[in-house]
Amino acid sequence: MRPYIAFVKKEWLEALRTYKVFIFAVVFALLGIMNPITAKVTPQLLETFMPEGMQITLPEPTALDSWAQFYKNVGQMGLIVLVILFSTLISHEITKGTLINILTKGLKRSTVIYGKLTLSILLWTASFVLCFGLTDIYTRYFWDVSILHHAYFAGGCLWLFGVFLISVTLLGGILFSNSYGSLLTTLLVFIVLMILGIFEPIAKFNPTWLATQNLNLVQGNLSPDRLIPAILSTIMVIVLLNVISVIAFNRKAI
Amino acid sequence: MNEISQLKEYLPFLIPVVILELALAITALVHVLKHPNYKFGNKILWIIVVLFVQIIGPVVYFLFGRGDE
Repeated sequence: MRPYIAFVKKEWLEALRTYKVFIFAVVFALLGIMNPITAKVTPQLLETFMPEGMQITLPEPTALDSWAQFYKNVGQMGLIVLVILFSTLISHEITKGTLINILTKGLKRSTVIYGKLTLSILLWTASFVLCFGLTDIYTRYFWDVSILHHAYFAGGCLWLFGVFLISVTLLGGILFSNSYGSLLTTLLVFIVLMILGIFEPIAKFNPTWLATQNLNLVQGNLSPDRLIPAILSTIMVIVLLNVISVIAFNRKAI
Repeated sequence: MNEISQLKEYLPFLIPVVILELALAITALVHVLKHPNYKFGNKILWIIVVLFVQIIGPVVYFLFGRGDE
């Protein structure tokens, strides 16, 4: 247990000194504030830029528009930032040989993987909570939120999808030893999952459901128990990916 | 009058956004000035990018431009 805690601390220091923590905090805080702003300002912007004499009636923005922005922005920009920031997670250490020292001193290879996973998931959770919390506070401040359904459950789904992406990125980094390999693996997995999503019978087990159906949940078009197969399969895939990561890393020449 | 009341309405948004953007830009600027070795580009390029490309500029600097110590 002690090597594990020491390694997580080392990872935390590294994340601080490479400004990862800072970037995460600022980017996700900005994303969190931007969502309600965009929802509120868009109709007025459209009005201002309309040509003279043209009349359109725009519905007043509601809490739903704010959350629509959240799932659009965090579901795209947020996840992209997440994957880019974590693409160097292990590849950087392999290419620079910084792990050799501690591994020859007797640190187990699996500890490296668990330590890295722990810190990345913690970092992602903290940034997600920050972003979600800010959007939630501002949305409550401006609009009536009684029209929303399962807002927290929908957020949790997106968070779980983020954990899934972290696991894929980490495995990609181990397999290809560089950050581009890591990014490409994640992209490829995402595309394959999107294509598999077309096939109706297996679509409900698809992890991408967790990142695409959130708004339907919030609108109340989809009941939460429809997502349970996807949640269970995603958790199983995450565990499986991490087991493969440990095995692949054990066999890797460093 | 109308514009002032509109501005007031957006103040709770604008203040944190401005603070965050400034914090990001200033941290990056300090880093650019203190560590004059970059993966590519030179000091002037990075100062311009960091100060004038909002949000994305500093993030790109920290992710791709920052040299190794």
